[in-house]
Amino acid sequence: MKRESAPRLTLKLGHLYPDQLNLYGDRGNILALRRRCQQRGIELRVISLGIGDALAPDEYDLLFIGGGQDREQAPVARDLYEVKGIGLWAAIEDDMPVLAVCGGYQLLSHYYRPAQGPDMRGLGVFDAWTIHKGPRAPRCVGDIAITWNGSTLVGFENHGGRTYLGTAQPLGTVLKGYGNNAEDRSEGAMYRNAYGTYMHGSLLPKNPHFTDYLITLATRRTYGLQAQLSQNEIRANDVEPLAPLDDRLEWEAHAALLERMGLHSAANAALQVT
Amino acid sequence: MEQQRSLEETPPTGVSVAHKRGWRRNSSNAPGKTSRGKAARKAKRQGISLRASMAVLTGRLVGALSRRLGFGGGTSIAGLTAQRISPDIVKRLAAELEYGSIMVTGTNGKTTTSGFIAAALRESGLRVWRNREGSNLMGGIANALVMRALPHGRLRRKGRAIAVFEVDEAVIKKATQAVSPRVLVFTNLFRDQLDRYGEVDSIATRWQQTINALSTNSILVLNADDPATADLGRTFEGQVLYFGIDDPALDLAAQPDTAARHQVMDTRVCPQCGRDYEYTLRYYSHLGHYFCPSCGNIRPQPDVRATRVHADAFDRMRINITSGDREAKAQEIVLPLPGLYNVYNALAAVTAAQALHIGWEPTIIGIEQFKPAFGRGERVQVEGRTLRLLLAKNPTGYNEVLRTLFSEGASRHVLCILNDNSADGRDVSWIWDIDVEQAIGHTATLVLGGTRALDLALRFKYAGMSQDAMMIVPPAPLRALKREALRVNRNSKGRKNKQSVNIEKGALAAETPRDGITAALDAAIHMTPIGETLFVIPTYTGLLEIHRELERRGLTPHYWEGQDR
Repeated sequence: MKRESAPRLTLKLGHLYPDQLNLYGDRGNILALRRRCQQRGIELRVISLGIGDALAPDEYDLLFIGGGQDREQAPVARDLYEVKGIGLWAAIEDDMPVLAVCGGYQLLSHYYRPAQGPDMRGLGVFDAWTIHKGPRAPRCVGDIAITWNGSTLVGFENHGGRTYLGTAQPLGTVLKGYGNNAEDRSEGAMYRNAYGTYMHGSLLPKNPHFTDYLITLATRRTYGLQAQLSQNEIRANDVEPLAPLDDRLEWEAHAALLERMGLHSAANAALQVT
Repeated sequence: MEQQRSLEETPPTGVSVAHKRGWRRNSSNAPGKTSRGKAARKAKRQGISLRASMAVLTGRLVGALSRRLGFGGGTSIAGLTAQRISPDIVKRLAAELEYGSIMVTGTNGKTTTSGFIAAALRESGLRVWRNREGSNLMGGIANALVMRALPHGRLRRKGRAIAVFEVDEAVIKKATQAVSPRVLVFTNLFRDQLDRYGEVDSIATRWQQTINALSTNSILVLNADDPATADLGRTFEGQVLYFGIDDPALDLAAQPDTAARHQVMDTRVCPQCGRDYEYTLRYYSHLGHYFCPSCGNIRPQPDVRATRVHADAFDRMRINITSGDREAKAQEIVLPLPGLYNVYNALAAVTAAQALHIGWEPTIIGIEQFKPAFGRGERVQVEGRTLRLLLAKNPTGYNEVLRTLFSEGASRHVLCILNDNSADGRDVSWIWDIDVEQAIGHTATLVLGGTRALDLALRFKYAGMSQDAMMIVPPAPLRALKREALRVNRNSKGRKNKQSVNIEKGALAAETPRDGITAALDAAIHMTPIGETLFVIPTYTGLLEIHRELERRGLTPHYWEGQDR
């Protein structure tokens, strides 16, 4: 309790389609964001945005989209394009941080071509597209580690579709695992502050630096220079403005996974973070 | 003699089997060969039975060898080998069972439900055969039959025999194609081991295909309260029996614990129109009284229903059960197991028993005297403490175990083991869908073990558990593990030739390094005061490891013998 000071700042997290896209422990990502905000005296308010709900671009500070089953993904794709498309585009162009995992990531690229049936139109935020190469093509399933921002991200991937990047920048380079398409060692995509990835497991709890990065982007964008976090005043370009937390357990879990994948030096590096 | 044998061989299931055999005969005819006489046909048929005999012999030999040598996989190796030699061995042997077979499938509750059914059938005087716990793929089913076949390729003691097969939800289609069951029970459909099975929808599709191909002579037993399972009955043209709970007192909205109301739901969409189901009563996850507000799709009226469920104690549930045809007379069953999920298992078993016209008395006696299966509430005495093993392999199962443990507000000693071996599912994302929040503040001790102990610890941490309140026993670091394994392999290789299996086991016990789970178990036992109960919540392979460890200490019956009582 003593670490959790009274909330002085509020961040609004728009959770897109929590009822339809909730397959891969996406709750873990929300929990990680909420708790890490709470410990910095930031209140994270989560607002569910279901099918039919409008998305006003200036109403949220952070957006999250999870992954779902194919049957549930089709009506979501339609809603995303027809109802929320313009608002989401405007928000992303205005540098709102967005995290899209698995199915959500596919929906933010140009299209998803399933093994059978018509293409599913995506929003085209990322210049990328996804192709399912038929029921005989093996799914990309397993633990995955990638480089990110001079460090590593670890997670679990499970996708049938292969994503190919056009001009979009990848989130990172695959160290172990499949990544976007199991061919070019790229994983995920970024555009402005929007991040798409196949990594779940859940992604954020074991990657506290990435979680904090998203929180930083959101607070910086919303509160700018005036933001007061703990005792420090944030400057707009401060890289690590958030008060450090005791993340030994997080990094241990992170390193344990790296070590299981045989990435020993990365594991050692991860343990040295704390 | 020869003639008689070949007559007997024709299985009573008839058409499809005969057809298949005819096809096999034709396809094996080389084009050059001319017409065959009666004698040739007989020889050919004899050839097939020879093949079955070969299959049984080889299978049993391999099985015996594998057990003798202490290899893994002994619970299905005989069946797998026999199937290799004679692909239709399961069909042939199962056709000889006088009372046919029953299959139980679904995400949760397969083992307990088939245990209940077997107990009721035994009580009514039948000879019940089962596949071994956990060996519920085709190999395990084949194994159960092959291990009871005689060397000439026929079953022994098949009079009054009935088989109760627990079948993995992913192979049920194959299983029903090989053996047409008299009764097919679907317990429920939850999210389980996604990386192995694909998604919940793909299982539902596979089940629907199973039903489409199912003989109308089979009786379907379905969970009315689970929309994904109940839907299977809508298109089936044979007899369908539903079971369900009609007790408003169990509604989640009536529960004090608010966390429980936000449980994961794995099925929520009406398959006919795509609208979300709404609930008038919800028991747990997506089980309850549901209806579709748009197309009117509604929970079917159950034929067997629990009208009142009351927990006398942690593992004593008193259930009043009414069956459709005897409206007036409710039967009371005292269930020796904890949790609402076991009430559903009992209901499924009662319904299956009714489908087979088994009376109430043997059914009730069978269920009430049921000894919990391996890891389903099994009780073991260890160093003055009582261990309760509660398998939890998916969010719904986990939530129900936690709810059962913590609903009384008592403080519990808990050991959780999370593994990510392929039988557990390599993806551990599902732990984030468990409501571990309900355990916060109610654990006297909490020990976390298994290959992903650290992930589980993070889950508890983000639920608000203080790090001082949990003890984490992670597996040994990878490099060290490799070195240890090498050393053990070297040591045990020299012993392979020794005659006695027991000696080898004893030697291994002394030399096997104390891995994470053993250490976790010891820590948890020692942190639990003498005379108190330690609740162990493992995933599937964690349960196997715990069992092996207890067995090594001479505390449980041997796994191999754990099958028939």
